[in-house]
Amino acid sequence: METNDDHTNDGIAPTAEMAPISHLWNKIREREEWTDEERKEVLDELFPDDHRIVPYTKRFATLLLLSTTIAAFGLIANSAAVVIGAMLVAPLMTPMLALAASLMYAQMKRFIGSLTLIVLGTIGAIATGWIVATIAGGSLASTLTPQLAARTTPSLLDLGIAVAAGLAGGYVLAHKGSGSSLPGVAIAVALVPPLATVGVAIEIGDTTAAVGALLLYTTNLIAIVLSASIVMFVSGFVPDYVRQIARGRIGLRLLPWGLALVVIAVPLTLHTRDVLRNEAFVRNVTSEVEKWDPQAAVVHIDASLKGDRGAVSMTIATTADRQPAWRLARSIAVVHGINVDLAINYQQETTDAASTN
Amino acid sequence: MPLRPIRALTLLVVAALLAGACSSSAMLEDHLVVEVFGPYREQDAVHFVESLEPFERTTGIDILYVGTGSFSHDLQNRVATADYPDIAVFPQPALIRDYAHQGLLVPLDDVSPGQQMTSIDDMLSGVVGGERYAVWFRAVVKSLVWYSPPIFEARGYAVPNTWNELITLTARMRDDGTAPWCLTMESFAATGWVGTDWIEDIVLREQGPEVYDAWVAGTIPFTDDRVIHAFDTFGTIVHEPGWVFGGTHRVLNDPWQDAQSPMFDTEPGCLFNRQASFQQANLPSGVVVGNDTDVFILPSMDGGEPPILASGDLAAMFTDRPEVRALMDYLATPEAGRAWAETGGFTSPHPDFDPNWYTEAFDRRMGEILKEADVVRFDGSDLMIPSVGTGTFWAGMVSYVRNGDAHAAAAEIQAGYPEVTHFPVVPSSDG
Repeated sequence: METNDDHTNDGIAPTAEMAPISHLWNKIREREEWTDEERKEVLDELFPDDHRIVPYTKRFATLLLLSTTIAAFGLIANSAAVVIGAMLVAPLMTPMLALAASLMYAQMKRFIGSLTLIVLGTIGAIATGWIVATIAGGSLASTLTPQLAARTTPSLLDLGIAVAAGLAGGYVLAHKGSGSSLPGVAIAVALVPPLATVGVAIEIGDTTAAVGALLLYTTNLIAIVLSASIVMFVSGFVPDYVRQIARGRIGLRLLPWGLALVVIAVPLTLHTRDVLRNEAFVRNVTSEVEKWDPQAAVVHIDASLKGDRGAVSMTIATTADRQPAWRLARSIAVVHGINVDLAINYQQETTDAASTN
Repeated sequence: MPLRPIRALTLLVVAALLAGACSSSAMLEDHLVVEVFGPYREQDAVHFVESLEPFERTTGIDILYVGTGSFSHDLQNRVATADYPDIAVFPQPALIRDYAHQGLLVPLDDVSPGQQMTSIDDMLSGVVGGERYAVWFRAVVKSLVWYSPPIFEARGYAVPNTWNELITLTARMRDDGTAPWCLTMESFAATGWVGTDWIEDIVLREQGPEVYDAWVAGTIPFTDDRVIHAFDTFGTIVHEPGWVFGGTHRVLNDPWQDAQSPMFDTEPGCLFNRQASFQQANLPSGVVVGNDTDVFILPSMDGGEPPILASGDLAAMFTDRPEVRALMDYLATPEAGRAWAETGGFTSPHPDFDPNWYTEAFDRRMGEILKEADVVRFDGSDLMIPSVGTGTFWAGMVSYVRNGDAHAAAAEIQAGYPEVTHFPVVPSSDG
């Protein structure tokens, strides 16, 4: 049983000179006084390991079905508000926190139970997304709505969000009275919308998008479990006697999750690098357009880089005579060292307009 | 200890970002550069440049390839403003002749003297005073008929060996209840070129290469009886009721790329498509060349070795610098096409191109057809002056399909020639 003194015994008392991150870390580590009964109560709320599992599972399945249905319709209708509503109903965060806690407590039964529920829930949510997309049928365009597309290209930003949300989830759990913040955590790190996106993308036949959305979900899952575990361990939610027994083995338990996080960071890093390179590429192309035709205004530009080759599709409005596309492509190659496939559409410049009423 | 993975991740991110930042440096510094202007874009542009990589590696000369979707128009504008590329790759050699006449192209007197290709190359070499101005880089075989071997086998049809057998089989297919020919010509501003290929193939077969050369050179007019006869022969197919799927309405209004699609319907709509080797790129997805469809050479009139109509892309140089000559030298070798052939979708015009470099059997077969043919002639409309070859000849074919009047169409096409007529072309030696 720990005391409130514990947090100062670690020798890192918060001071005014302390860097903000260290300060934040110490806040996370602040200890709460827990009795074993209170801990058991919280753990059972997260994932009961007795007869209460049956109503718990029913509630979980119902909420998951409803939230995924709401999310899928919201994604297809491209409504951010509806998707956020779905996140508030989504129940996936609870078994994930249970999984994190069971890792720290070395409770095999709860670990297997919560992991099984997460896996089944994941499959169920994807299937629900697929069914909703099948029902929506005619209202589905062949291209993804912006709400759907936003969940198919995860980057390091998403990893950062998921890590912070996992820390927040762990903090809420390990600090009494913070429970009202949990819905905010669920919104920050959406779990159900990416799964609904996987289902919709499979229905459309867009495998790349499905893989991207699944990658986002996996990123969130791993980051939440890992960072919530760490917070629970350092903040006193895990009692000292468990910490004493587990010392030396905690690292081993977290190692697979840490490795998974590193593995998943590779595609995320590559994607983030691509995003940064793409942004630089668009800036370069736009600056070359200005030199190529000073009268031209770029109305829309779609540019992407694959390796050292760029693809640019843009709509241009110009008041001058049209300049040949090859000259712009050559400038981009010569000045910026990027070979490019360039397609230009011209939009008639609106130079005159009038209305009466 | 639990934080180590996060630290590792941070390092990974930093390394990746640094790698990204260092990868884009401006090209072409302190190197000799040759600018090549051509019609290849997107994947074709990548294949073309890949095929020049061995040259870049061994010489250290950089190639700046600029491809455009409006080659003829853009090149003419460049020439008009004296903004010449070092080398241009021409899909239609008529411009080469014009520019050679104007003294804009550099004669290839000492480029690859041992690299004579085929009779077509000789023909081009005759364009201006016996000088050679271009090397043939990529070949297309045009005298092909696409058909469906499974349907032929099921219905007991045999590939025809003479023109008469072709017509007899055509009639039999119609009697069996299927329109024999898949034929469409719509091609935006270029609508009609499919018809010009038909006429060229027929003139070459009915009248032989000498008459063909004289007709292409403009010394035999379109209104000549021998050319009119070719129109009538084509008319036998296109105007005979029930011989062309969808009739002349479809011929004129459907995209040329879609001609063959009805062949693969559950109940085939048509059974023959006379189209070039590049038709391979327009086959419906899932159709496998060699299984679902294949080609035979459009037969000769008498069953002899059929002449081959071909086209393709030729490179010529505007500037005379050692590095430009070096690249022309390379383009004249079989190796220049090797990388593209290994990717697929490329046929070399070189008789000594190693067949093992082809990864696609179809490309290899096209190479063999060109190599083994007794008579090969370049696409006539590509060689005729632009006002005819890419002007009245196209429009005249549309008129002919629409109203069936060969004399009127021939007169319309012939009117594309200026008052003072043709450039002399030295006839090629066959075989």
